[in-house]
Amino acid sequence: MSEEVKIIEKKEVPSGAIMLFGFPDVGLVGVIAASHLIEELNLAEVAYMDSKLLQPLIVLHEGLPHSSIRIFGNHSILLAVSETPISADIIYQVMDALIDWGKNKKAKMMISLSGIPIEDRQDAKELKVFAAASNPEMLKKVQEKGIEALMEGYMVGPQAIMLLRCAQIDLPAITLLAQCFLNYPDPEAAAEVLKGLATVTGIKVDTAKLLEKGEEIRLKARDVMKRTQQEMSNMKKSQEYDIPVYIS
Amino acid sequence: MSIKRKRSIMDILDNYFDELEEQFERWRETLIERPSWNQKACTMEPLRNVRVTPTEVIVTVDLPLTKENSIQVKPVDKSTIEILASMKRKIRFTDFGITHHKGEFQKLHCHLRVPVPVYMEKMGIRFKKGILEIRLPRKHEYEIPVE
Repeated sequence: MSEEVKIIEKKEVPSGAIMLFGFPDVGLVGVIAASHLIEELNLAEVAYMDSKLLQPLIVLHEGLPHSSIRIFGNHSILLAVSETPISADIIYQVMDALIDWGKNKKAKMMISLSGIPIEDRQDAKELKVFAAASNPEMLKKVQEKGIEALMEGYMVGPQAIMLLRCAQIDLPAITLLAQCFLNYPDPEAAAEVLKGLATVTGIKVDTAKLLEKGEEIRLKARDVMKRTQQEMSNMKKSQEYDIPVYIS
Repeated sequence: MSIKRKRSIMDILDNYFDELEEQFERWRETLIERPSWNQKACTMEPLRNVRVTPTEVIVTVDLPLTKENSIQVKPVDKSTIEILASMKRKIRFTDFGITHHKGEFQKLHCHLRVPVPVYMEKMGIRFKKGILEIRLPRKHEYEIPVE
């Protein structure tokens, strides 16, 4: 692990867990889904990130300071969450540190939860979940579970780095992406990505409460969404709409 | 190639300065941080997006917890729209776990600039899944025939 970015453990961390990622991105799908997982599965904070590369920011919960990037968990799940968008210029260091740490904890699989924006989102009757994987076996596995693969295109953001790094170190990984709004918090899409997660891993949570509180979540998440929009723009997130030219 | 001008040089200059002003406004917004709520006016600022297509400008505004029949869309001038909507219930800072600010909010309010000329009077409005969508047909003031 880099000296610049440290993961400080607060509790005993399980070995051989599935490691999940929920970071601010389109529709805040990953963050909303992660927040719901923490609540429903009663996950405890097991570790946090400490780095001078991070924005000089802490998150106060019940009057006490916390890092903006924390890892929650139980006996079988580890969940890395960021409460603020990760700046494009430190994204590699942050993701490398989390992946190295997860690998040291013998995580058996890494899954990032995110979204894929669609233009006429408010007219969409159902939201599809897509997947991309770090190797052909994982891709086949998700396809066999009925999840459509993202076959061609660009991916920008933490989930893209996660997938590439895991492919390089031969750690099975998947990115699950639910169709969502680009610039508005999307609890419905978060519920869909959680259904996708249940299909792939068997980690099931009731999403009824998430949908019930959807409007409140959208109101509460405005500020994080606004800052995420700025970072997505810095990261050139719109490149995901580009049609790639493959040179084979 | 000939250019048919339908506007005077003063109109073009006006348009140029409008664009400059708009760019400055965007730049200023990125520099000056301000909260997304107004305690005195009891309003919260909704998220919004403006998209320009060849034929129209599509403005969307995220209006969660809004009473549909309370939404007001008012053109302020030829390029500015003001949006005001009442919420189904009062929202307090304490609802978000915040105790160091006091206040309650009953309305969502914002105004936004449309970046190209449009027919304000022909705006189409719909509200679906908590998203307000305003469609404004574009006004094409130049015509440059290709020879």
